[in-house]
Amino acid sequence: MRRVLKTALLVTLVSMMVFSSLAMAADITINLVTAGDQNMVDLFNMELGPLFAKENPGYRVRVVGTGPGDPGSQQIVEKLLAQKRANRESWDIDVAVIHEIGASLALQEELLSQYAESAATFKYVTSSTAKTALGVDVEGYVIPMFHSQTVLAYNPNYIEEPPKSFEELVEWVKENPGKFGYNGIKQGASGVSFVASWLYWKTGNYDIYAVTGPFDEKYMESWEQALAELREFDSYVTMTSGNAATLDMLSRGEIWIGPVWVDMFYSWVADGRMNPDFRLCLPAPGMCGQPMYYVIPAKAANPEAALKFIEFVTSPEIQAKYIVEKFNWYPGIDASYVQEYLPQETWNMVFRDVGPEELANYARVFPIKDYYQAMMEAYEHAMR
Amino acid sequence: MQPRAAVKRPSIRVSDGQREAVSGLVLVLPALLVLCVLYIYPLCASIAGSFVSDEGIGLHNFAKAFTLYGTDILFTIGITIITLVLVFVVAVLTASFLRFRNWPFLNFVYRLPLFIPYLIAGHTMRVFLAPHGILNILISRVTGLSDLPGLAFSWIGLVITFVWKQFPLATLLILGAFQSVEDSYIEASLNLGGNKVRAVWEILLPICRPTVLVAMVLTFVSTIGCLTIPLLIGPSKPVMLPIDMAFRINYMGDWGVANALGVISYLIVIALSMYYLSYTVKKEDA
Repeated sequence: MRRVLKTALLVTLVSMMVFSSLAMAADITINLVTAGDQNMVDLFNMELGPLFAKENPGYRVRVVGTGPGDPGSQQIVEKLLAQKRANRESWDIDVAVIHEIGASLALQEELLSQYAESAATFKYVTSSTAKTALGVDVEGYVIPMFHSQTVLAYNPNYIEEPPKSFEELVEWVKENPGKFGYNGIKQGASGVSFVASWLYWKTGNYDIYAVTGPFDEKYMESWEQALAELREFDSYVTMTSGNAATLDMLSRGEIWIGPVWVDMFYSWVADGRMNPDFRLCLPAPGMCGQPMYYVIPAKAANPEAALKFIEFVTSPEIQAKYIVEKFNWYPGIDASYVQEYLPQETWNMVFRDVGPEELANYARVFPIKDYYQAMMEAYEHAMR
Repeated sequence: MQPRAAVKRPSIRVSDGQREAVSGLVLVLPALLVLCVLYIYPLCASIAGSFVSDEGIGLHNFAKAFTLYGTDILFTIGITIITLVLVFVVAVLTASFLRFRNWPFLNFVYRLPLFIPYLIAGHTMRVFLAPHGILNILISRVTGLSDLPGLAFSWIGLVITFVWKQFPLATLLILGAFQSVEDSYIEASLNLGGNKVRAVWEILLPICRPTVLVAMVLTFVSTIGCLTIPLLIGPSKPVMLPIDMAFRINYMGDWGVANALGVISYLIVIALSMYYLSYTVKKEDA
């Protein structure tokens, strides 16, 4: 009896080992690390990862989030850099999702693989953000996952004709004190975008600050005057305490207009926290937005699998269903390829107020890193 | 073999006192390690880091902290002191009331904020006190006045939220101390013609001073270091120091100035506790 048991146990053990090694051979795990809020982790963990694994048996996607904002991206870059400095043969990140700052830092340290042109979906990529990020040439190293944009959201009960430009906005704000709200530069990039856009408007140096550079003190001499005017403007506005606070006060009717992230605005509408009748506008000469990028590290352990995954998630169907329909971002690839996969009403909603043409004309990017830091510091000095 | 071993043993035997010391050390070691790793090391690192900036080692971070955030430092001190005073008044009033009268309903209700996290407390108050918040809507419905100013996003709303969130813990501590004072002291004073207010002020409070001090220090420290509530309900200018620290780190990766602001907060806490201690000592001497 005992011998029978022993044999049975042995057989079980051996077969378990054989099967598990077989299973391991068939399973490729794609390690995906993403910066951004919890919604990004959820998107990959609960939607895109399982969907990819279902359509491609033998693959699985493991997702790790590094936290919101630029610090999240910086953590990913630091991790890759540490592995590079330790001379590791293969790095433990296959796909990373990072902000512009992450892409520019990683590229300067030569941490990224030049994979983009070999992707089947590269032909859909047309935006200028796929070429430069914060002044760094990233073409060929990144494919945008989505674009997010700041715009002005307004309450049509009080504002029939939204301001078409910053000049009109300033005029309106002085006639309606306290009804424009933004959050300065703390607790949310919607306010940072407004301040940067203000500087672009006042100085006219957008290209130097955000696209070409170079970083030079002489381009910042006009900031004092521009920020002094912003300070005067601020005396007519309501200062809110963050991205969400601007939306909050807007939805309660405490302010009538303010800068918001488009995707946050539509998410609030979808959640029933924002009046769906509220509208958006993008005044000239434009406001800032930013993409997030898919990148493959230079020594990713599974570069082929990573490429396969990125081709999957940048395909027009997935971009339509998840990026636009579900999360209300603008697509990372050219919107015209995405349109046929979208219900007309979704297309109409997302591009109702700010259409592709306006986006092409007035969508700006944030200043390059050095100007960005200098702008924060100058603002703190001017507003103290 | 055995006798030899018996001879050797005394030479390696430690005295009882030493053994106790060793086992004591082993027992506190885990706690000590946690304290060192999670508290003392970061504290030293933050103090050291406050002197390091791009310009080298020196007081640059402090200079920047004072020029940019001088107002915020004063604002933080002001809000914290106002909160402290109000928490003291409300907590002592509640504790005294419950010391003399058994009212289970109040005893239950005052503790509720203890179980509400800072985040929820901040958000609740924001919805309640906003210009078009629940409070103003109710007042508008009853009085017919419209466009009332909101208390949220101002220092008043901030103080109200802090006091509401902080007074239960202080009350809990102070009430416990009050109840441990024997009735006979209070009865004696009442018999001699004193009233309850005097009994609280001249008997309960002096006897319970150590506990009251602990309650006030806890209130002070958790108020000055709170990020969530100022973030949710405070004004956007000036702001409390933790917001500035979070900003320097999250947006600028500038740990130097953030650490300098941290060290300034430590100094504020130390200065106020020193003042309080010397004040109470002086009072005792007099």
